[in-house]
Amino acid sequence: MRGRTAKSRTADLFAAVSAPSMAAPARAVTATQLATVSAPAARPRAKQLWYAVVFPELPASAAAPVTLQRLCMHAQTFTSFVSIEAPNALLLEIRGSVKLFGSLQKLHGDIDACWRRLELAARSATTPSTLAALWLARAGKAMHGDDAGTLPAQLSEVPLVCTAWENETLQTLRAMGVTKVGELLRLPRAGLARRLGSAVVQALDIALGSQPAPRRAFVPKERFRARSDFETEVEHAAYLEKALEPLIERCARFLRGRQAGVQRLLLKLRHREGPATEVTLGLASITSERGRLMDVAVQKLTRLELKAPVRGIELISGSLRPLSAASLDAFAGLTGAAGAAEGRDTAPQLVERLRARLGEEAVYGFCLIPEHRPEAAWRRVRELRAPSASEPIIDAEMPRPVWLLQEPLPLSKPDILQGPERIESGWWDGKGVARDYYIARRHHGAKLWVFQERHSKRWYLHGVFA
Amino acid sequence: MCCVVVKTWMPREAASLAEILADARVWKLKDASAAPARPVWSTGRSSLDARLPGGGWPTASLIEVLLEDTGLGEVQLFLPALVACQGRAGSPWLIWIAPPYEPYAPALAQQGIQLNRLLVVRPPSATEALWAAEQALSSGVCAAVFLWLKGTDDRWLRRLKLAAEAGGALGVLFRPERHRYESSPATLRLMVSKGETEAPHLDLLKVQGGRPGPVDVGDP
Repeated sequence: MRGRTAKSRTADLFAAVSAPSMAAPARAVTATQLATVSAPAARPRAKQLWYAVVFPELPASAAAPVTLQRLCMHAQTFTSFVSIEAPNALLLEIRGSVKLFGSLQKLHGDIDACWRRLELAARSATTPSTLAALWLARAGKAMHGDDAGTLPAQLSEVPLVCTAWENETLQTLRAMGVTKVGELLRLPRAGLARRLGSAVVQALDIALGSQPAPRRAFVPKERFRARSDFETEVEHAAYLEKALEPLIERCARFLRGRQAGVQRLLLKLRHREGPATEVTLGLASITSERGRLMDVAVQKLTRLELKAPVRGIELISGSLRPLSAASLDAFAGLTGAAGAAEGRDTAPQLVERLRARLGEEAVYGFCLIPEHRPEAAWRRVRELRAPSASEPIIDAEMPRPVWLLQEPLPLSKPDILQGPERIESGWWDGKGVARDYYIARRHHGAKLWVFQERHSKRWYLHGVFA
Repeated sequence: MCCVVVKTWMPREAASLAEILADARVWKLKDASAAPARPVWSTGRSSLDARLPGGGWPTASLIEVLLEDTGLGEVQLFLPALVACQGRAGSPWLIWIAPPYEPYAPALAQQGIQLNRLLVVRPPSATEALWAAEQALSSGVCAAVFLWLKGTDDRWLRRLKLAAEAGGALGVLFRPERHRYESSPATLRLMVSKGETEAPHLDLLKVQGGRPGPVDVGDP
């Protein structure tokens, strides 16, 4: 008896001594592993909150997609990110809206109330993961929480039918005696992946929030269209400005409501007979700003010569583009000289004004292409770009001229100042060049960039050092 | 040090210099070394900087460059200033209107120009080019606006100058040499002609607040 207690005491002692010396490093390793492994996965979990709603009574007819799209627009009053899950569910990312609506309970209740007002049977759930929310909603377990840690417990009672996996998979699982998500979670992953395919394991990871699942946001395929008819015919384009102003105002409001912008507007001027005059209003970047839309319209209208009196106007927007955070950032970067603060122009406004009068192609910028052939090392670009650090690096072996000729011009051998620099490239695309470039000088005058074609030995002028 | 120019009328019984200076009809020419209110951008050549009031290209004004030929390093004269003014926060845009050839982007990037802040405008006519220049200069978005023109009149130059003063940009107009003897409201008139050496021959025709005359530009 004494001996046994002594034995057990030593065992305890042994355990107590060994624990810090052996288990501690092991624990440390797992802790760091956890930190490194779960850090990327933890971020979307913390950032996103998904509200899923299922409409069980939505008829599985051809009209269902259209109905869902219409419901999307209702859902867009709560969040800008709504995604359709065919055939009868919607997913809303509501993390950003929680603060606005007070609390998650209130927001969840408000969205539910929206469906009730529409007299639709709806089942909803909110979780940090898309699939978990969807499964819980299908199972009719109305719960809302933003703690990813409780997901396994919440999902454990959900019947597997709610996952909407393929029948074959569900039948296999039923044959295995697995009918609930909780039972499935207890099975070893490797065996599961081997039997049912990796898609099932992946779905479980997404449901538990350990793997992010990007979704496509619903963007309404609608256009702004508004018309206004005049009581009397308008003969001067200048008078159209006044009539156009309320339409532009409505268009801007329409775009703001949808958190979208346009890059193109079509203005139709209708006459008593003959086809309508069409005026395209192009914008330098996606915008929903009334001021910028109006600026371009005014610029176009003042240049317009009416061929006949106008009886009415119609404003039609181009396709709506989302005003993403990136485009807003780029926009902020494009604003010059604290423009907005001083009430001055911004760069896009200036470009729009120039383009409205001179033509779309008349204003352009450049970007570099990593390429040795001088004529292929750059191209014109039309869109304004935000500053980026990823421009190719230029090797500064020999100076390059400020002006480049569109086509090399033949010339007789000039006075060479510097060179040669051999450029031999492009044999793969049929426009290969083999040239020796020199810096030359016209008699007491211009500094030129010339080359001698290596095969023909002919001399060409390619640039001017201005 | 103050230089006094007395226009048309001279007080016979002026008691002192102070009395003359107090007269509103006396126009005082500022000392060349006085720093102008607007910033200037160094030309990158010390000999040229020394001849310009404030020590560089003046902003918020119109500079007129008369060219004997293309390819005399006329754009090169301004590139250090362009790089410097692009580095300034706020309005980094450069707009080149109606350049004689296509600007060669890799060369500009090689010299340090931010290409995504450079725009080229190709207007269909000289009048449209002047309109575009006026818009760009007065917008306040641009650090510098360059315009290449065959010919224009005094009235338009005055409008461009006013636009440049309003927008605070470095406005440069390149014109052929034949306009040399026409009057011009430009703050600075500069003639670039062929020289015996590799460096271009520079002649300051008009410098507001400075001394005109040829400039010897050696190596920077």
